[in-house]
Amino acid sequence: MAKFNTNSNTYIIIYSVVMVVIVAVLLSLAALGLKSRQDANILNEKKTQIVKALGYDPATVLYDDVVAEAALLDAEGKTANDDVTKVFEALQDVKGSYAAGSFPIFKAKDGSVVVPLYGNGLWGPIWGYIALDTDMSTVKGVVFDHSGETPGLGAEITTAKHQAQYVGKSVYEGDDLVGVILKKGGADKSNPHEVDAITGGTKTSDGVTAMIHTSLNYYKPYFDAVRAAQNAAEGVVSNELNTENNEQ
Amino acid sequence: MSSKSLKNLTAPLSGQNPVIVQILGICSALAVTVQLKPAIVMGLSVMVVTAFSNLVMSLLRNGVPARIRIIVQLVVIASLVILVDQVLKAFVYDVSKQLSVYVGLIITNCIVMGRVEAFALGNKPWDSFLDGIGNGLGYAMILVIIAFFRELLGSGCLLGFRLIPESWYIAEGGFYSNCGIMLFPPMALILVGCIIWAHRSFNKDLQEK
Repeated sequence: MAKFNTNSNTYIIIYSVVMVVIVAVLLSLAALGLKSRQDANILNEKKTQIVKALGYDPATVLYDDVVAEAALLDAEGKTANDDVTKVFEALQDVKGSYAAGSFPIFKAKDGSVVVPLYGNGLWGPIWGYIALDTDMSTVKGVVFDHSGETPGLGAEITTAKHQAQYVGKSVYEGDDLVGVILKKGGADKSNPHEVDAITGGTKTSDGVTAMIHTSLNYYKPYFDAVRAAQNAAEGVVSNELNTENNEQ
Repeated sequence: MSSKSLKNLTAPLSGQNPVIVQILGICSALAVTVQLKPAIVMGLSVMVVTAFSNLVMSLLRNGVPARIRIIVQLVVIASLVILVDQVLKAFVYDVSKQLSVYVGLIITNCIVMGRVEAFALGNKPWDSFLDGIGNGLGYAMILVIIAFFRELLGSGCLLGFRLIPESWYIAEGGFYSNCGIMLFPPMALILVGCIIWAHRSFNKDLQEK
């Protein structure tokens, strides 16, 4: 090192500036160049999860085959926007959409609906989708995901074994939206609102319970409206009309 | 490959193992060893990062101002990790999701910076690269051993495949029950202790007088 004094202040400052610029350019190029691929992956994953929540195998069934309509509901449960791109944009930040009073919902061709869930686990956010059957109460399926729950413990919420428990449970108790409760120490099999909590993942399980309850209650006005329409229809018209009613 | 270069690769596997001899990287050894799969992936990722950060820092070693070398090392390591993360997200999204927080955790892994500081700054690029691979492998090896026991005894599976039949469990009318403590980090620490014990009783030169 005859040429430079690598410990002089000038050298250090120039060195740092050059290094930061090179690294910044490199990382920006990588981020920009890969962004479209990453976004496509993310969108594709969301569609896959919606299909999975409805109980289909995403390998054989496409999103467009099963979902008839995507919409954003307002706090009263009325459709505020039915532009598909806007709905998926809202899914990028479910927490923010909830806070802004905008609630994404996916209506399947068979009359069931899928709504996103968002909550807090032990270490970070947890999210997912829940599919409710035409009665807006029976669970058709759930999909959960997380950013940092412990593998083998809290992260078990993403396993098929855990998620299969939810199928057939009811989220309504009379007119109350109670959701599904993850019961520590084992669920009472006859209780339509309970599933087994994760052993060693109590905090995550509590987070899932809270997530289902909070998220679904944002949609309660919509669910209630659909259920009221069904009850009214039940008294006077045949089952065929009833199904038609649900789809509206 | 000369025998001296080869030694850089093989020494970290046993006599100079980063986890059980130098006691580096213990934190992540506790965090990611509940199951075998994340342990393997984490081991491989760390290996890639130690190898390339050693290589880059060794190439830069004559120009790095001594007073800011730690910052330079951090920038190099963090950039590599971010690049790896971005590439994974774009091309193998599933793997990237599987890794989730672990990719970011690599930056904080003491082994990476430890090897850059202790080896790459004073050695030629090729030797440094081998040293990085060796240390990554040494780390991965210990992680896999710990994860093997934790997953097998804690959940009765290996790599997600059930080895202990469901019918053996007490809940299904059997006699067996998983060892719950295996799922918690303290057990990983105890296992690391057991490995160090076994390793030292075979390698007398490591024992303190």
